[in-house]
Amino acid sequence: MYIYLPIAEISMHIGIIIGLGGGVGFLSGLFGVGGGFLMTPLLIFFGVPPVVAVATEANQIVASSVSGVLAHMRRSNVDFKMGTILLVGGVIGSTLGVFLFAFLRELGQIDLVIKLSYVVLLGIVGSLMLVESVRAILRTRQPGAARGKLHQHNWLHGLPFKMRFRRSKLYISALLPLGIGAFVGVLAAIMGVGGGFIMVPAMIYILGMPTAVVVGTSLFQIIFVTANVTVLQSVQTQTVDFVLAGLLLFGAVIGAQFGTRAGAKLRGEQLRGLLALMVIAVCIKLGFDLALQPASLYSVELLK
Amino acid sequence: MIRPYPHNHKIPSQMKFMLWLFTILSVSFGTISAHAVNGKLVADLSENTVSIESDFHGTELLLFGAVDGMQGDDIIIVVRGPDAHIAQRRKSKVAGIWINVETNIWTKTPSFYQILATRDLAKIANEATLQDLGVGATNLALQITPEKDPQETGLAMPTVNGMVGELVANMRALGLWGATTDTIALKEGALFRSVIDLPSNVHSGRYEVRIIHLRDGVPLSEDTTSIAIRKGGLSATIYNMAHEFSFFYGLFAVIFAIASGWLAAAAFRKK
Repeated sequence: MYIYLPIAEISMHIGIIIGLGGGVGFLSGLFGVGGGFLMTPLLIFFGVPPVVAVATEANQIVASSVSGVLAHMRRSNVDFKMGTILLVGGVIGSTLGVFLFAFLRELGQIDLVIKLSYVVLLGIVGSLMLVESVRAILRTRQPGAARGKLHQHNWLHGLPFKMRFRRSKLYISALLPLGIGAFVGVLAAIMGVGGGFIMVPAMIYILGMPTAVVVGTSLFQIIFVTANVTVLQSVQTQTVDFVLAGLLLFGAVIGAQFGTRAGAKLRGEQLRGLLALMVIAVCIKLGFDLALQPASLYSVELLK
Repeated sequence: MIRPYPHNHKIPSQMKFMLWLFTILSVSFGTISAHAVNGKLVADLSENTVSIESDFHGTELLLFGAVDGMQGDDIIIVVRGPDAHIAQRRKSKVAGIWINVETNIWTKTPSFYQILATRDLAKIANEATLQDLGVGATNLALQITPEKDPQETGLAMPTVNGMVGELVANMRALGLWGATTDTIALKEGALFRSVIDLPSNVHSGRYEVRIIHLRDGVPLSEDTTSIAIRKGGLSATIYNMAHEFSFFYGLFAVIFAIASGWLAAAAFRKK
């Protein structure tokens, strides 16, 4: 059964839309990432115009993140204090990002900047996570190995405005999550994603948060970032397709519930290893797209 | 008995009967007046309006008509959709990666352009005739302009002749442009019918349909009709809301998303 999408102005099979939503929702519940970096290219692949894909995706992530957060809240796996500070940084960062986006657009080649930042960031984040998680998995397999410290102390711990985050068992400067939130916010605005795939590793490796709390907290702040993007895109570009978002989120909210359950059965380092593999796979795919000669050197876009 | 259109399920059989009745009547009328007007052509569509609603997945329209012709005559049908600006981009390899290096804008170019004919256009008439008629992508009086000043970019000024081939290929791949032959059934040089295929990615607007009757490469008569394609039902409501009340539309989308996420979490909790 096909359905006509009024904003995207194409007709798509209803099963494909719900299936995409369910699959990406599952991963979102499992890893605490919004899944935008997977869904946006998939939607474009199925013929949705890129601008509509980016804006609609934000709307759908709101739903799967709410669904995921509620599941994590029942396990008390959300650090609201940390999430709020990350969020404040995110709002500042994404506002800056919108201006940067406009500036890059003036220069031309915004598409290239987006693609290259995907490849570079996904590549770095994916490789670092993979190496770390493989080490962690190997360590747990060696009985009698000395347990490492919870986290190392370095100059980051000398920053002022120290705050206690009970749920994360941390006593660190508030500037740290604020800065990370801002940095991810900038990238989120430019790349049109929630930014979970950068936020999750940053929370684990820079802030030193326990993996169990990271996923729920990341989802918590993604809700606000993507809700903001949805309203902004609606006003500025009118590219949020409500029908597409509704069907995607129908699949996604259910998928996210199963994802959260599956995540609870896996160990932290296994979870991180799997996320790393997924991130690297997307990175390689995007890299190949840039490096291989396209079937046709020409492409057209119908402007209104 | 003439076989109705087996692949066309969208036109009810009763209506088909009416269409044929109409066609036969017009032909009888045509024969009577044939001596007065040489090469009279009458054509109509099964429907003149197409409403794009939630279940829209493209549609087929039946075009039928009668002509005062003879065996071996030709019919060309040209369906032209509303004009649009079309950005055409060219990729090139720079530092090992393929990036868009050039963008040209085709101004006032039909967003939809389909030609149906009894046989190959080249066999129907010579290029000069087709040019006079304005039939074919190369005879559309297209205009191309570079997106950025060539003095700044250092790129050569694009020419219509140089770029139109790629435009046709790209638009054909989208299913919006095309030319198909043997798609018109012309019976006894008098009755003809064809099916106009509108894909699901058509733009809304007014579509002009030209029907041209030719004999030995000479155009004899022409008729035009039109199709109005517009969004209808829920699709139209959502589209209008998004454009007229964009802030509330966005707000509603967010609230709907939050409520859905909440509901799903609540539903799964009980199990």
